[in-house]
Amino acid sequence: MFEFLLNPIYQGWIVQGLLLTVEITLFGVLLGLILGTLLAIGDIYGGKLAKGAIAVYVEIFRGSPLFVQLFLAVYTVPAILNVQIDHYFLAFLVFGLNSAGYQKGYMKGAMETILGDQMQAGLSTGMSKVQTLRHVILPQALRIVIPSWTNEFCSLTKSTATLAYVGLFDLVSAGMAIKGITYQILPVWIVIGAIYLVWITGFSKIMDMIYERKKIPGIELVMQS
Amino acid sequence: MDVWQQLTFLLGGVPLTLSISVLSFLIGIAIGLPLAFVRAYEKEVAFLVSAYEKVFRGVPEIVLMLLFYFGLGPIFPFPFSNAFFVAAFVLGLRSGANQSQIYRGAIRGVGDEQMIAGVSIGLSKWRAIWHIMVPQVFNYSTAGLGSEYALLIKDSAYVYVIGLAELMTKAIQLKSIPPGDFVTPFVLSAVLYIALTFPIAFSLDRWGNKRKKKIGL
Repeated sequence: MFEFLLNPIYQGWIVQGLLLTVEITLFGVLLGLILGTLLAIGDIYGGKLAKGAIAVYVEIFRGSPLFVQLFLAVYTVPAILNVQIDHYFLAFLVFGLNSAGYQKGYMKGAMETILGDQMQAGLSTGMSKVQTLRHVILPQALRIVIPSWTNEFCSLTKSTATLAYVGLFDLVSAGMAIKGITYQILPVWIVIGAIYLVWITGFSKIMDMIYERKKIPGIELVMQS
Repeated sequence: MDVWQQLTFLLGGVPLTLSISVLSFLIGIAIGLPLAFVRAYEKEVAFLVSAYEKVFRGVPEIVLMLLFYFGLGPIFPFPFSNAFFVAAFVLGLRSGANQSQIYRGAIRGVGDEQMIAGVSIGLSKWRAIWHIMVPQVFNYSTAGLGSEYALLIKDSAYVYVIGLAELMTKAIQLKSIPPGDFVTPFVLSAVLYIALTFPIAFSLDRWGNKRKKKIGL
């Protein structure tokens, strides 16, 4: 049943698929973190217009499925702009923009738990608003946000399974290719599922360990979603 | 096809999207609620609950659907060769794992004192849970449940992979009709998904806050 695991060609496909899954997730989460932090700052300090625009952005990316967003990026955007764009790049962009919509909420929550007093303390020592954000608020917020970040990583990794349906070679595509030759449908999907499970569980464990080391004693983010 | 024809075609997929998400939400309650209480009050088997949650947090819904429908379907035609059943089943199991986490937070919110009070007036543990904790747990979990339901609506798009003609599948079908419109179907379906998710999460949260105020929390 599971002999296909011994075939070096299939092993190569699985590794290749896993690499794409991992790459897109990690880059996506990273882009999401940078953009999401900027959006969170904008949402806290921005004017009415900025706040409105950010709310619309978040609603668009959190309100519709990543699956649809991926199709929009891969088919609709090139059709409107009338240019060919690399699908890998588009996928990476979609995962980053989507993740930013979620991470904005996490960062905002984290920043708000420490913002009030510490902002005043920072200002009273003569630092500017930007300096206080950069040197006092953000370093702490980034530590508080680690558990939510881990969740985001898990759900984004699971979403990469959609990549197979816009013609990119991810882990699911590897499964389809192997299944197409060996006809071992059930074993193939069990193996593919197990690889996702090991990777996600392992990475979350590492992130939990990092959080235990880095967490600020006494401050925890209470997440309600 | 003009925009209106496309819209009507897409709207034809909405009932299926809704029925999959409602059914899986209900399955999620039926699984998540007991799991959360087992985890809170039966410490010896709590590790099983946490293993269950890990599995459904760690395996993509798409892979699970492919596994159950194409992998188990030929072996156990009943019930796994029914795409609708597989869709609601997989999303329901996953939602159970998520909802268990939501209720876990809510149980902490209600507090242990009420359990102790219940047991001290002579209720058994599970009767106290059923009559005292369960009704209150929902008040504390409205925000979480709202976003969980929105998540299910979005995740119902995955059933494209097992060929159910819901919103997402209909959009892809529209794309494939020659000469091939790559713009309208996906923009319209994104708008429809937003229209489906936005009011539910929003109003459930509002309802929860009102209710909390009413009973003085």
